[in-house]
Amino acid sequence: MPRDTTERMTAPESESLSDDALLGRYAAGDASAARVLVDRLAPRILRLATRLLQDRAEAEDVTQEALLRLWQIAPRWEAGGAQPSTWLHRVAVNLATDRLRRRRGVDFDSIDEPDDPAPAAVETMIDDDRRRALDQALAALPERQRVAVVLRHLEGLTNPEIGAAMGIGVEAVESLTARGKRRLAQLLEGRRDELGYDR
Amino acid sequence: MTTDRRTDDAGGFDDSLLDALFAEARDEAPAPLAQAFEARLVTAALAAQPGAMAPRPGWLARFRAMLADVGGAPSLAGMGVAGLAGIWIGFAAPGSTSDLVTTFWQGAASVSPSVSDWAPATSGETLALGELLTLIGDETQ
Repeated sequence: MPRDTTERMTAPESESLSDDALLGRYAAGDASAARVLVDRLAPRILRLATRLLQDRAEAEDVTQEALLRLWQIAPRWEAGGAQPSTWLHRVAVNLATDRLRRRRGVDFDSIDEPDDPAPAAVETMIDDDRRRALDQALAALPERQRVAVVLRHLEGLTNPEIGAAMGIGVEAVESLTARGKRRLAQLLEGRRDELGYDR
Repeated sequence: MTTDRRTDDAGGFDDSLLDALFAEARDEAPAPLAQAFEARLVTAALAAQPGAMAPRPGWLARFRAMLADVGGAPSLAGMGVAGLAGIWIGFAAPGSTSDLVTTFWQGAASVSPSVSDWAPATSGETLALGELLTLIGDETQ
């Protein structure tokens, strides 16, 4: 449908619509729906991609590419099925893990995890904000541990879903997640009081 | 996930604290996008929109396109001269065309060869119609 024949939404109206409905409006040619969807979906995708890739420029590329795929599938989107936000997260995870594989130059699963870095990496952190402390600790994790922990504990994916995204088995996911959490605890050691957790 | 429960209590930052950190991180709203990045995303979204039409060019772009159709910026010089000449003619009110020609080319009318100059050497002789037809007939044979 040509764009100029589509009824425009007012701001309050668009804010009240579901992602599903907005995507339908977008496919029908409503430009305001695209803006609302970008505002709603992109920040979380960017945060996820940044946590996984630890590179802002690459995270922005992944966000843009994931959204582009959403726009492309919009005309065929089945309302009432999967949520656009969930679908978009999966796409972003796949795009990010693909980049991590390319970064390594070989299969994501074929390289042994390096030895855990020294806890001193986090000792330099001076920010007492919990979120930043967590992000900094995540950044200090070995790559595969970081991906597994982020997807499991921050994005809520199941182990089979993580395994599919990373190209590894469920047991490997469990192992990476456990080691990642253990390592995070070590990295945050001694900051319990600083982060406001009572003993 | 059962495996996660095996996580050791490492120096006072145990599973429960990590889970609390994770929960806070999950619930926390992400930072808003940088304005330039957001604009880039919206532009890409609109470009990919079904039935998207190219944006209507501004008046400057349309003027440039029109100018290109008539030969680009250099053509403006010729158009300008022609326009100025028109204005001059309007103000000068040169009267009849012959006066104008005379103004531009002084004495031009006097050097124009008269029709008699172009006439053949037999000018002035009168040929009878019969002789003329004979001559034409000879030429066509």
